[in-house]
Amino acid sequence: MNVFTRGMRNAFRNGVRTGSIVLILGLSIGLSLTMLVAHRAVGQKIASVKSSIGDTVSVTPAGVNGFEGGGNPLTSTQINQISSLAHITSVSSSINDRLTTSSTNLVSAIDAGSLGRRFFGNANGSGGDNFGGFGGGGTSNAVPVFTPPVTALGTTDPTMLNGSTIALKSGKQISGTADTAVALIGSSLAAKNNLTVGSTFTAYGATITVTGIFDTGTDFSNNTVIFPLSTLQRLSNQTGDVTSATVTVDTLSNVSSVVSAIKSKLGPAADVTSSEASATTALAPLQSVQNVSLYSLIGAIIAGGVIILLTMVMIVRERKREIGVAKAIGASNIRVISEFVVESFTLTILGAIIGLLIGVIGGQPVTKTLVKNSSTPSDTSMSMPAPGANGFERASGSRMGGGSFRNFARGVRNNSAIKGLDNINAEIGWSILLDGFGAAILIAAVGSTLAAGMIAKVRPSEVMRVE
Amino acid sequence: MLRVTQLTKTFRSGDTEVYAASNITFEVPKGQFASVIGRSGSGKSTLLSLLGALDKPTSGEIIVDGQDLTKLHDHQLISYRCKTIGFIFQNYNLVPNLTAIENVMLPMEFAGMPKKQRKARAIDLLNQVGLQDDKQLRKPGRLSGGEQQRVAIARALANKPKLILADEPTGNLDSTTGKMIFDLLHGLSRSEGTTIIAVTHDLSIAGKTDATFTLQDGKLVSDAR
Repeated sequence: MNVFTRGMRNAFRNGVRTGSIVLILGLSIGLSLTMLVAHRAVGQKIASVKSSIGDTVSVTPAGVNGFEGGGNPLTSTQINQISSLAHITSVSSSINDRLTTSSTNLVSAIDAGSLGRRFFGNANGSGGDNFGGFGGGGTSNAVPVFTPPVTALGTTDPTMLNGSTIALKSGKQISGTADTAVALIGSSLAAKNNLTVGSTFTAYGATITVTGIFDTGTDFSNNTVIFPLSTLQRLSNQTGDVTSATVTVDTLSNVSSVVSAIKSKLGPAADVTSSEASATTALAPLQSVQNVSLYSLIGAIIAGGVIILLTMVMIVRERKREIGVAKAIGASNIRVISEFVVESFTLTILGAIIGLLIGVIGGQPVTKTLVKNSSTPSDTSMSMPAPGANGFERASGSRMGGGSFRNFARGVRNNSAIKGLDNINAEIGWSILLDGFGAAILIAAVGSTLAAGMIAKVRPSEVMRVE
Repeated sequence: MLRVTQLTKTFRSGDTEVYAASNITFEVPKGQFASVIGRSGSGKSTLLSLLGALDKPTSGEIIVDGQDLTKLHDHQLISYRCKTIGFIFQNYNLVPNLTAIENVMLPMEFAGMPKKQRKARAIDLLNQVGLQDDKQLRKPGRLSGGEQQRVAIARALANKPKLILADEPTGNLDSTTGKMIFDLLHGLSRSEGTTIIAVTHDLSIAGKTDATFTLQDGKLVSDAR
């Protein structure tokens, strides 16, 4: 028998007491582990959401929201000023317009339907207000027939549409910076007009060649023509105008400072927004769960440490005479302390085994419950618009618009990570088990320190005290 | 073997200084069995604590086998307690969750003896002190007082000490068992050449030892040889 085996055996001197201590310690370690699991899972979810939202900032002319509102477009000069700011890696600019029957031979792939008529024209064709011009009506007495326009987008980054990357079904990409008479068109628009790659159509009196056909998954976006920015600026007589810019920042942590810098540079001429605010709001419940789990984790570890500390203090006080005997017959302080440390570790490791079981069983449900209880219904609700509908844009006929912020906000709202905020997978992997074991070792070490100090102070002459 | 010179130990009790041992001087040759007698509070146990390096004297000299205990460092005192002396206590002070053999093996483990050797020696010692084989694997709680004291004696002998210090070794035993234990200690001092100093109240036992020191109020008042 040596210090190790004696220390382990000492842990079982009093079965009832050992059982109680191990159980309480197990609950404490189990709670620590459960909170660690919750903290990690929520932290991973937050990181994944933040990384999926991206590090971009949207810049639109002040007063514009989609094709609604007013104000003046931004200029290429302003965009160049933004590009030179610190922490900005790239800036993509775009301009939006609408192709009507008077400016293109393309036929819209979207029917006006009751929504389009409700928003922008009467069912009987009357009162199509100022959008009626997009229909076939010519005079005020004629019955206007409302036809939804085709959306035209001129952009320096033709790989993105409405904040999402587009997928080409056929053909090839266009260059966003060259002024060439080429375009990408949405799949439903291509089908409606029997266009394929290499086909041509007219817009603003020019002949445009279809280079590629894309599919975004929504009828509204698939009713879009994407031009190089310069091409659309020239064709639509908006040379030098920009209705939205998407700024990419080097790191997520610099997004706020870049937003401030752009606001400072452009002044009241532009609305500058980032996805950070939307993400922060959406992630607030998860942040709260992460904080709660962190505090609970710390609390549970402290509780475990206090339990083992008090237990060991009690044991040392109880065995003071025995410690004196050991010292009187030749044991060194280190040897006696080691024996008690082993005892402390034995109790803690037994508690850790129970704690690990609790953590494995309780980690996932506790995390889910915490997340569920902290989320509000709006956090996870999803909207399902009618095909072709997109807010008030679906069948409107306004002349110009920014649309960028709307697209941006839509990008955040539709982000799959944001949608599934409460879909958290709290797995207990080896790293968490090792961390749990590490926490148990920490608890045992903390619990042993005071006891060790007390043991060192026990004088061997204690053994001569007659009780 | 043992020479104590002008040994003094004082304690502070409030504002007053209490002399637990005062200018004690005596000598015990190798292999002698000496007894220390005196009333309660006379300083017997304090003297034993000082001889066993369990406590440090206020002044004076304790020379055991040529070593002055008062000049030893803490780690040397541990070695002294482990290898030079053996302790026998009135209430045995065995470790309750260890068997008789394991209790005897304990000081040998502290001295660094290999496990096989210490087990063999523990069994040998328990046989020497007359503890039957079937009782050697029992824990102290299942042994009588006399049997426990035999185990304590075997433990004290484990590292072949030059000096055995016994604090009322028969104090908790009936007279018959007490006599058996005394005879055992006496026999060991003869056969092993071990010096034994035993504190006792029992004058009949003290009368049979080679020397008897009488303490009164911390002072050595009689040295009978």
